[in-house]
Amino acid sequence: MSDATTSAAVGRQVPQWAEGVVSAVFALVVSILGGAVIILIVGENPLTVYATLLRGAFGTPERVAGSLLQATPIITCGVAACIALRGGLFNIGVEGQLYVGAFAAAWIGFAFQMPPVIHAVVGLAAGMVAGAMWIAIPALMRARYKANEVVSTILMNYVAVLLTSYLTIEVFKRPGGWSETAPIAETAHLMKLIDGSRVNVGLIIALVAAVLLHLFLTRTGPGYSVSAMGSNPRFAEYGGVKVKRNIVLVLLASGAVGGLAGGVETLGVHHRFMEGFAPGFGFDGVIAALLANGHPLGVVLVALFFGALRAGSLLMEVETSASREIITVIQAFIILCVSAQFLFRRRGGVSGERRWRF
Amino acid sequence: MEQDVAVELVGITKRFGTFTANRDVSLSVRRGEIHALIGENGAGKTTLMNCLFGMLVPDAGAIRVDGKDVEIKSPQDAIELGLGMVHQHFKLVPSLTVAENIFLGMEPTRRGLIDIKAQSDRVRDLSRRTGLAVDPDRPVRELSVGIEQRVEILKVLARGARTVILDEPTAVLTPQESRDLFRTLRGFTESGMSVILITHHLDEVMAASDRVTVLRDGAVIGTSDTAGMSEATLAQMMVGRPVSFGRKDRVASAGGPVLRLTGVDAHDDRGLQALHDISFDVRAGEIVAIAGVDGNGQTELAEVIAGLRRTSGGQITLNGIDVSAADAQQVRQAGLAHVPADRLVRGVDTRETISANILMGRQHQAPWSTRGIIRWGRVRAEAEALIKRFDIRTRGPDAAVRSLSGGNMQKVVLAREFSQDKPFLLVDQPTRGVDIGAMEGIHDEIMRQRSAGAGVLLISVQLDECLRLADRLLVLFNGRIQAEMDPLTASLDDIGLQMMGGSSIERAAE
Repeated sequence: MSDATTSAAVGRQVPQWAEGVVSAVFALVVSILGGAVIILIVGENPLTVYATLLRGAFGTPERVAGSLLQATPIITCGVAACIALRGGLFNIGVEGQLYVGAFAAAWIGFAFQMPPVIHAVVGLAAGMVAGAMWIAIPALMRARYKANEVVSTILMNYVAVLLTSYLTIEVFKRPGGWSETAPIAETAHLMKLIDGSRVNVGLIIALVAAVLLHLFLTRTGPGYSVSAMGSNPRFAEYGGVKVKRNIVLVLLASGAVGGLAGGVETLGVHHRFMEGFAPGFGFDGVIAALLANGHPLGVVLVALFFGALRAGSLLMEVETSASREIITVIQAFIILCVSAQFLFRRRGGVSGERRWRF
Repeated sequence: MEQDVAVELVGITKRFGTFTANRDVSLSVRRGEIHALIGENGAGKTTLMNCLFGMLVPDAGAIRVDGKDVEIKSPQDAIELGLGMVHQHFKLVPSLTVAENIFLGMEPTRRGLIDIKAQSDRVRDLSRRTGLAVDPDRPVRELSVGIEQRVEILKVLARGARTVILDEPTAVLTPQESRDLFRTLRGFTESGMSVILITHHLDEVMAASDRVTVLRDGAVIGTSDTAGMSEATLAQMMVGRPVSFGRKDRVASAGGPVLRLTGVDAHDDRGLQALHDISFDVRAGEIVAIAGVDGNGQTELAEVIAGLRRTSGGQITLNGIDVSAADAQQVRQAGLAHVPADRLVRGVDTRETISANILMGRQHQAPWSTRGIIRWGRVRAEAEALIKRFDIRTRGPDAAVRSLSGGNMQKVVLAREFSQDKPFLLVDQPTRGVDIGAMEGIHDEIMRQRSAGAGVLLISVQLDECLRLADRLLVLFNGRIQAEMDPLTASLDDIGLQMMGGSSIERAAE
């Protein structure tokens, strides 16, 4: 109790970003120590495992590229989640929007013939439209009937994954081989950034999206309205912000960026739609947005870290007996730390006085 | 002398981290007296009573009840020692009857079943002895607030309280009900009980208490016999400087109408009709006050005017523009400045800076925003100027609003709304929860707006505030304009009668 009170008192004196950095570092340290305990339990040396993890993520230029490749969809998905979060809404359906976006882009890629660049741009646009359409129903239900968008967007995830599976297996299946569509035309491929790696323009798109969102929220009138709505909707309504309309627009934008993340994966990395191609990028993005407290630039940092963990875990699994699920454990520890800090801050602010008011 | 003291707090000190909420506070309540405890918000009344009632454990000091040192670790201990607390927000179960509420948790039983008849009889008996008339078999949800408060008091008495603590008991009462309450409390003290009265209203302290203790910044400024004090002295002790209370001087300056309501109807959140056929004008350069007991349609009236709630009939014109179906932004454009009743909910975004709060409502307007880009430099300069002009106590425009006191938060709202030279101001409960010191500044600012030619609609449940500021007084009862009165000539009794619905007062007092 007294610890919490003191930390709250200190928190008032340091700037908010510094508080954020301190809590992020704290979360990181605790999760690395927690992960070490688990590694010890499975009978490995934590130092060796972590060293391998680091080498796997950053050991050679190719591995750095691998980390960036993994980080790209997490950044974009994180930006998608951020848009909703800053408007006071929760889009857990990023995974689903990623799937429908990826499929829509693939369809444009293999079913149409267009000149280079234009083909890719149309493919990405189709991904965005699909993502936006995918969240349209939850968005309208939320604005009109106050239906909880957390539940409805989660449910839409299952529909998205299964629908794209169906389309891949039953409608567009390539003869023989894997459950995947025909490859897309080369005119629709996204330009590669690094030779010998699949890192592509999508990384730049992701970074630009994060910066644009940041500028939109902090520098523009509509961005101000959206963040006011997220912070205190009744205040925003009082000040003349059209809350219902903005709920729909914010969720549609969030869904569109989720769809964009899928389009980039298809056109830049896989060059076809594969059933179950994304190992939870959408969920990682949502978590990154939460950890960054809705800050788009913070999302980039967290997503790069998550990408490095994913890339590093591949080598870790080859060279040690630790499973790649260790990184899931580390991520889980981070989430625990961050939510625990939320609780402590709340308690500190209450400090007994307001239990009963006179 | 010693045996005359019912409850004594000696040298109570309570700290929260580095903040000292009570510093060496001593308070002795004699048997048979009404002891008023006054102080501004944050002066430490809450903490002190929490210590006495076992909600908090003091860091230092002793508590004596009937001359014996006691340790109070929970409200249960306090109740067993004969202490009783009537909270500002009642804690009654609406679906249960009066008697069931009073005996909740200590029901008289017969062969294992609740003896409903004995329960009602005991309430009737208690009610007769104390003069607090209630119908034991009526469900609480059918009662008016005044009667609910009687039930709360009976509940405390049924648990054997000999010292009753009342927290802001008159906040929801009309002047008549308040007077009845104080008569009842006097009856208690005549039979040897003691009363601790926590209040913001100095006139009540003067009228009802025997002695008064003033707290400021966690310490006792003084305790003395009420008879030797005046409201002015008490206010000065509370605030630390002289404060004036009289009706504000003014010159008649009413011009043409800026706001006109014609036959306006509206429904509340549950879909029940909350406003019936409301018609009135507010002219430029005058203050029209809406008086009334809380919950008689004030919220709906304010929201309907501000474009935050749809009307279901009638017409509203602002500055000659029909805003009956307008949304909040359109009403603002037509000329509304709005100080909302609940500033934490609607008035400010506590997590944001003062600058960002000052911007709200004009984020799409030049010069604050050009081509969609917010000019934060200009906004910040404006915030700096307003901090000076409205004397907002803060370290600067980048301070988060949550770091401000309630009074200073309210000044941020006033600064934003009053600095835009709007022709019409909707001012809803402007001093709710605000200290006496800050209250005066807010009233002065409202008067300045009036002199500058703005039409002001003041909605307040504080009758003294209405009388101090209003040029015309409308009484709202059950969603209707019950009466229009002249604040200079109307008596408190007349106004109170109208606040209870005029002739229906006998029914409510039954």
